[in-house]
Amino acid sequence: MLNIYDMEKALSGLLRKYNIQEPQDFRLTQPGSLNGLNLLPGWTLIDTPLDEKQIPLLTWRLKRKFLELKKIVQDSIIENVRMFRFCSMGNKDEWNWPSLLYREMDLCEFIGDGKIVSLQAVISDNQTGNVILRLDNNILCSVEISIQMPSDSALTDRHEIIAQRGVASDLVVDTMIPQNSIYSYTEKGEQQYRDVDMELFGFDELQIDQVRSAFQVLKQRELAQQWQIQHKRLVNFINSVYISDNEQRKIIFN
Amino acid sequence: MKPVKIAMLSLTHGHTRKYFQTLKENPKLEWIAVYAETERIRDIFLKGNYNVPCYLDEQEMYERHPDIEAVVMASANNKHLPQFRECASRGIHVLSMKIPSFDMDEYSEIVKLVEKAGIVCQIELEMHYNPVVERLKQVVSNGDLGKIGAVNATNITLSPVWAFPWQGVPEESYGKRVQLCPGDNRFRGGSLCDHPHVFDLIRWLTNSEFDYVYAEAGPNIRQDIEVEDTLLINGKMKNGVSFLFDPSWSRLEERLEIPGPGWEIYPKRMEVNVNISGEKGVLFADCFGPNVYHNGVPNDRYTVQYTYFDEWIGMMDEFVDCIRNKKNPKINLKWHRKTIEAMNACYESIALDKVVYL
Repeated sequence: MLNIYDMEKALSGLLRKYNIQEPQDFRLTQPGSLNGLNLLPGWTLIDTPLDEKQIPLLTWRLKRKFLELKKIVQDSIIENVRMFRFCSMGNKDEWNWPSLLYREMDLCEFIGDGKIVSLQAVISDNQTGNVILRLDNNILCSVEISIQMPSDSALTDRHEIIAQRGVASDLVVDTMIPQNSIYSYTEKGEQQYRDVDMELFGFDELQIDQVRSAFQVLKQRELAQQWQIQHKRLVNFINSVYISDNEQRKIIFN
Repeated sequence: MKPVKIAMLSLTHGHTRKYFQTLKENPKLEWIAVYAETERIRDIFLKGNYNVPCYLDEQEMYERHPDIEAVVMASANNKHLPQFRECASRGIHVLSMKIPSFDMDEYSEIVKLVEKAGIVCQIELEMHYNPVVERLKQVVSNGDLGKIGAVNATNITLSPVWAFPWQGVPEESYGKRVQLCPGDNRFRGGSLCDHPHVFDLIRWLTNSEFDYVYAEAGPNIRQDIEVEDTLLINGKMKNGVSFLFDPSWSRLEERLEIPGPGWEIYPKRMEVNVNISGEKGVLFADCFGPNVYHNGVPNDRYTVQYTYFDEWIGMMDEFVDCIRNKKNPKINLKWHRKTIEAMNACYESIALDKVVYL
């Protein structure tokens, strides 16, 4: 099992390989570095006031499947997008409800190339809930979030994009859960594998996403400020989601 | 048990064809007559060689077959009330399509007609006779998931309006022409009217009623129809269970006048998927899976070929049992009223752009 130090080492390796200046000091996990850069997944900073050394990583934005979905929309492979049907389910040992919501709301904007202009939310026990969002390009989005998967369950998600011409999705047609690359059935039992990055082989997907997004921020420095701004917007949306649920009303943003 | 002598009315409903085999094969039924609304519909029916007399005049059918005991009311929603009046006056039992009426005054009149005539009226919500749904109910009721927090469900299909045009006509589908919301050029009567199942299902699964709903229509996928084809609904049941429903026509179709192979553009023409989150875990259910797949004729497209469960068998068995043994059907008018009220509340929410309490 590779740990956070392995991730930091892998990031350093990538930076050296691609001739990108390595910061003197950086950390990929809490409590982080006092003087150096803290490159942390954005959802871990939802309750933390940001300082300029803290870079909230929108880690999913470097994930191949989301990049491909974005490209399908951007290149009009499917035309005139009408609806998003997004769903994310995790276990409460690794996730909390706002963290998954943070990710999915950002994905709505990222893939849809639009800004959230309204939302209406219903939450049950802060563990499961749904949000209906609209983007400024009129795409209507549903976001279903639950953290009621059992311990050790992998994050299970679905991203379906419905357009006037065509549908795109990260799930196979006629299935309900994501597929893996390898399924083995041996005397040791059933094993499943999903390896997606040769340069970071051996890390799990969340670790890969974090290293890749940290790498991107260090390679493309202007991204740091853009993601800090987006982080603040997403935190604001999360607060609005709770208001919407409490007051049972739609929230509209100007 | 003496078979129930049964007829079919109109043949304009999308589910019409699904009854043919059951009416023919179920030994508890004797299919004795059919009324077709138009010559075209009659001709299509006759091609099936069912050897059942088909009439173009409803009254003529009743006059020639005074022994009709029950009908399958396979008609557009706006035809239901007059057909109920006729059936009640003749003491004929009714298997009604999913929406007896969206007009609650009309609905009340139908209830009175049925009660006064002492006839059986069963609503066609065939999901109750689906084995996956049966298993789902068992898993939930035996507590495997613990206390339920959310029930999210899709009832997504292609649009039937090209084959069954009344479903795209607000007056025939919703019962009247009501603008969807201020400034919108669409009217009530689209995909929401076609998809009551999930509204019904959650009431069974949670043993609770709707507290409030919030609904929002998306932009239409089909620009040339005047009813809604995408929408999302969220809300809560009175016991605190939250829900998100997607009852859209979000699977694109070839515009066939007679449904058949090649109808779907998206590989899968229909889904009812249910996703339940509970204290002890999460469940994903595909109420019509698993299936088989092909990329054959007519379009060489990858296609999901359903391995349908025939819910109509169990449903018709119950209908016969209720008629012969004077029982009240599981899905009766009184039970179903709250489902229709919730669907109406969704339209109201779209119009008002806010939560609507029931």
